[in-house]
Amino acid sequence: MEFKTVLFYIFATVLIVAALRVISARNPVHAVLFLVLAFINAAGLWVLLQAEFLAMILIIVYVGAVMVLFLFVVMMLDINIERVREGFWRYLPLGAGIGILLAAEMTIVLTGRYFGLENLPNHSFPADYSNTKELARALFTEYYFPFELASMVLLVAVIAAVTLTMRSRRDTKAVDPATQISVKRADRIRLVRMAAEKEQGE
Amino acid sequence: MKTTYLLIPLAPLAGAIIAGLFGRLIGRAGSHVVTILGVAIAFALSVVVYQDVNAGNVFNGTVYTWLQSGGLTLQIGFLIDPLTAMMMLVVTFVSLMVHIYTIGYMVDDPGYQRFFSYISLFTFSMLMLVMSNNFVQLFFGWEAVGLVSYLLIGFWYTRPTAIYANLKAFLVNRVGDFGFLLGIGLIAAYAGTLDYAEVFAKREALAAITESVTGWPLITAICIGLFIGAMGKSAQVPLHVWLPDSMEGPTPISALIHAATMVTAGIFMVARMSPLFELSDTALTFVLVIGSITALFMGFLGIIQNDIKRVVAYSTLSQLGYMTVALGVSAYSVAVFHLMTHAFFKALLFLGAGSVIIGCHHNQDIRYMGGLRKYMPITWITSLLGSLALIGFPLFSGFYSKDSIIEAVHASNLAGSGFAYFAVVAGVFVTAFYSFRMYFLVFHGKERYDQVPHDEHHDSHSDDHHGDGKPHESPWVVTLPLVLLAIPSVLIGFITIQPMLFGDWFGTSIFVDAAKHPAMSHMAESFHGPMAMALHGITSLPFILAVSGVAVAWFFYLKRPDIPAAIQKMAMPIFTLLENKYYFDKFNEVFFAAGSRMLGRGLWKGGDQLLIDGAMVNGSARAIGWISAVVRLFQTGHIYQYAFSMIIGVFALLTFWFNRG
Amino acid sequence: MLNNFVLPDTLPAASEMIVCSMALLIILVDLFVSRSQRWMVSLLTILTLLGAALMTLVTADGQTTLSFGNMFVDDLLADFLKFLTYFAVIMMLIYSRSYLAERGLDKAEFYVLVLFATLGMMVMISAANFVTVYLGLELLSLSMYALVAIDRDSVRSTEAGMKYFVLGSMASGLLLYGLSMLYGATGTLEIGGVAQAVNQSEAPANLLVFGLVFTVAGIAFKLGVVPFHMWIPDVYHGAPTAVTMFLGSAPKLAAFAITMRLLVYGLFGLAMEWQQMLLIMALLSIGLGNLAAIAQTNIKRMLAYSAISHMGFMLLGLTAGVVGGQVDPFTAVNAYSSALYYVVAYVLMTLGTFAMIMLLSRSGHEAELLEDFKGLNKRSPWFAGMMLIMMFSMAGIPFFIGFFAKFSVLLATIKAGYTWVAVVAVIFSLIGAFYYLRVVKLMYFDAPVDTGPLRSDIDMRILLSINGLAVAFLGMFPDTVMSLSTTALVRSL
Repeated sequence: MEFKTVLFYIFATVLIVAALRVISARNPVHAVLFLVLAFINAAGLWVLLQAEFLAMILIIVYVGAVMVLFLFVVMMLDINIERVREGFWRYLPLGAGIGILLAAEMTIVLTGRYFGLENLPNHSFPADYSNTKELARALFTEYYFPFELASMVLLVAVIAAVTLTMRSRRDTKAVDPATQISVKRADRIRLVRMAAEKEQGE
Repeated sequence: MKTTYLLIPLAPLAGAIIAGLFGRLIGRAGSHVVTILGVAIAFALSVVVYQDVNAGNVFNGTVYTWLQSGGLTLQIGFLIDPLTAMMMLVVTFVSLMVHIYTIGYMVDDPGYQRFFSYISLFTFSMLMLVMSNNFVQLFFGWEAVGLVSYLLIGFWYTRPTAIYANLKAFLVNRVGDFGFLLGIGLIAAYAGTLDYAEVFAKREALAAITESVTGWPLITAICIGLFIGAMGKSAQVPLHVWLPDSMEGPTPISALIHAATMVTAGIFMVARMSPLFELSDTALTFVLVIGSITALFMGFLGIIQNDIKRVVAYSTLSQLGYMTVALGVSAYSVAVFHLMTHAFFKALLFLGAGSVIIGCHHNQDIRYMGGLRKYMPITWITSLLGSLALIGFPLFSGFYSKDSIIEAVHASNLAGSGFAYFAVVAGVFVTAFYSFRMYFLVFHGKERYDQVPHDEHHDSHSDDHHGDGKPHESPWVVTLPLVLLAIPSVLIGFITIQPMLFGDWFGTSIFVDAAKHPAMSHMAESFHGPMAMALHGITSLPFILAVSGVAVAWFFYLKRPDIPAAIQKMAMPIFTLLENKYYFDKFNEVFFAAGSRMLGRGLWKGGDQLLIDGAMVNGSARAIGWISAVVRLFQTGHIYQYAFSMIIGVFALLTFWFNRG
Repeated sequence: MLNNFVLPDTLPAASEMIVCSMALLIILVDLFVSRSQRWMVSLLTILTLLGAALMTLVTADGQTTLSFGNMFVDDLLADFLKFLTYFAVIMMLIYSRSYLAERGLDKAEFYVLVLFATLGMMVMISAANFVTVYLGLELLSLSMYALVAIDRDSVRSTEAGMKYFVLGSMASGLLLYGLSMLYGATGTLEIGGVAQAVNQSEAPANLLVFGLVFTVAGIAFKLGVVPFHMWIPDVYHGAPTAVTMFLGSAPKLAAFAITMRLLVYGLFGLAMEWQQMLLIMALLSIGLGNLAAIAQTNIKRMLAYSAISHMGFMLLGLTAGVVGGQVDPFTAVNAYSSALYYVVAYVLMTLGTFAMIMLLSRSGHEAELLEDFKGLNKRSPWFAGMMLIMMFSMAGIPFFIGFFAKFSVLLATIKAGYTWVAVVAVIFSLIGAFYYLRVVKLMYFDAPVDTGPLRSDIDMRILLSINGLAVAFLGMFPDTVMSLSTTALVRSL
């Protein structure tokens, strides 16, 4: 057994355990941290596949930026874990049953010989081979169209996020000092001229 | 030419739509102007088409594909051949005359615009029927003319009798349509196409098939089915009962629909289907027997009628019987020839009768007419010409067509032709008798117009000036069509017999298997020109019978008016039989109407209310309501349940196809 | 390094570029117009779509052109569907203008998101590669999630957006998983290449079917057929009516397109497998959709279930393409064109029906209950007539367009030998006729609750009338749309 194989099994095992813990952890902060662990192990697997650029991106973007942000959000929210877990035990037998059967079926199909190691092309690149450069070339030539589209997807995500969060609540009582200062007399007082009225005699 | 073909039916349709939808807007004059214009265009273009067809151009093609789905193609197509061209001419010409005539006849009627719209719509439908090149369109036209006929019979919809009559016409025609649809369905099922040309191309193959349900030869089943349709529309015994009652409608439509055009649709259809009918002797015999019964026995009924329109109506029935007889002996061209001559002189007689009705202030009873010759000279002379044509007086158009029918029957070797020959020859006498009975009672003899009993209500939507004043001649819009129709009534037979019957005018549009049915070829051998035929006709049996019929009528109704009454007393049972129209109506009333009412009530109470309403409709509605309430429960609104249902879906698909790959 | 790279021909994607750049421009324009000049944004959006339509029309040459490294395909089917998409979106924009304005939803973001969603649909329609299928779908879905939740003052709208987002992401995951399995089995992402690889069947069949199941599940979610339909009622109900109308119309065309691209073009070799999957889902959808619709009192929810059953009907057409393993081009084209016809007819009817709901809605009042249609005939006979046409057409009563859609699909089903399926479908559509006719009954035979006259803009009235008459007249002349559908398919297959 090569050392690479040993590493693969370590990364894979930790990845699966971490993923399971993400959904089973009682504390949401723990769940997020397990997710970070899972990502790091996935990055490890990619390095084994000589996809070092992707591995780095995964660590930098997902772990470094996204998950940290996520952690903040989870820490700031007061999540009632018991309410989220409501009915967990009631649905567990059915859910777990289906899940296990599904997983079994997938395993049977996917562990066939077709995906076996001996059927995979053996890419073994020299040490100075740049995965980053290769990726960049593919991205900006062949995959130019999907690349542009992906940028549009991101833009839509930004627009959507802004649209859904930037809003003036109708029921808010806060006042804007700027509008208060710039108020004019005409906005507040209306002078009405009216004839004097005689009081009705008793 | 394609545009021309399209324009012919569309011009009357446009007129009908404008007059029907915007009648109130454009007023009475506007309505009759647009509809007459539409029909006039159709007529003019029909003449053009006729010339074109005469030059040998036959068109058969699709004008518009309405729907193409899978292997089934429904299209609007025209088949323009000599048969169609002739029908188009007849339809548009008679329709034009009737349109003009209507201006005078309906002048007081509040439904003026509606009436014009209907008759134009009728012209459109009839044109679609005759121009069609496939069964779907034929059926469309067939039903459309039926619908318009229904609307027109019940035109005065406030009268119970009119409503009864139009309902009756509609129901009786449904019986016929059932057979018709069955025939079309068999064709569609076995030939796989509804296009005439394609069906005819497969006729030999069809002839070899035996229909599995009845065990009949398929072609016989098809032909009898189609002919039952024709029986309904062309009022053959026993589906004739609606036609006399249809006289409840205004007179112009009696002339247009119930005499000249629509009722001949059945005859036309059988002639068009001649390639199919030729294959089945059984069907032809059936046609022949039905036709001869109609020809003779409906004539008898004409003798005792007192309503002027009913006399003409029974004569129409009898003449339709003649045409059917001609079809039965494979003399399709003769049938169509008689159809054409009949269209002219019967329209003339009807319009003449209408003119008389106007003249007599909407009195229709011939017992209270008489001596009108003096007051209505034009009506008188044209009616005389029409009657002479009807009885088949030599040189008149009816002579040629009717004599040809008699000859054809004589020459036929089909089973039942002996009886048919007797029926048509005897019919000549009967026809002559009742025609001239009416003629003498109306135009000659003592003036009895002042004896109208005041409780009589006939065609009396304007009975404010009922029974007072002398008869008067009708306005020119009424008499002009009479004169224009009288011309072809007299001449058309003389002119066209040579090309239509013995020339090759119909070409391929009518098919006769000369080896099996030699009647036509026999006749052709003995035909030596129209003049010779007329001369020979004078010495023949039918002529003698016709003349004696006229003479007897004269004797009974002018010379000795007491004799008919005496005969009536003597032969009371026969008279009662005729009076009750052979009890057909009674039978239908008791057996079919009451029977179906009983059946209906039984089904309603037991089947509908109990079983369908109670168990099935309400039951299934309750069951469905329950199911849908249950289904609704699944829509809980919980997102994890939704997600789970998706997972289950994937799981089910995966499991199901796990071993399929 | 770049020696074998050729710059792609961008002309086939010209209309995509128009929509994309105009969407970006509109975000900027919005910064410089005041509230009262908002109409400019709406107008610009409509003009953009018209421009795109013009561009599609000009560049449509009936040829099949691949571009961007075989990722993008421009064929007649794509042009036809895109053209319909533009017009569905334009109609939606015109119908919903005053509805949005009354609720303060006529923000530029709405229009920009609509344009991006349209772009997503266009990409899906022209997709020739798994990557573009997926990206187009994501672009559409993401815009849709935001649009559904756009009315932040409405709890229901937010909730619907959330549900749609979670379930939609899951469905995207399923689709992506399926596509990656197919990639693993065939070694290519190009749909054409996949088709070849499947025919040569190098990969084990069970692996292909495994990928297929997930792909079908992803597509089924987009179409909203049972059992992937659960989001439809809640989202249709919760979203603002204008968005529901958008959601229910044009995306169905795009969903049809990716079904054609993925299943019919790419996995034609597995037709016998996916046809049966679709058949089961179709029958379940027709059954459940029609039954559940009866119990609804909310018309938007009712139409949601009706959408489920209609999509089931559409799927029936797709299941009839290959009979008994034999590929007969005539049968196949006939079946697929009947499905296409069904989608087109459905989009037209849906637009008109939702437009009626918006016509009856006023500011502060959502006419989304069946009761709101009571006595409509007394308030406006003309529009009651329009609604009558829509309902009759949806119920499949002759001679409206919906009848011929059902008719042709059923004919194809019978041709394929599934007579019992046709019978079941007819029975359920008869049951379904009940709830459509109930609307008609309410309009004509019940006394109105709200007797006020209908207030709406003239352009909406005209468009709605045209829409209704089109539903009626295209039913009388069904051959026009049918022959277009057939031609589009024949030229593209």
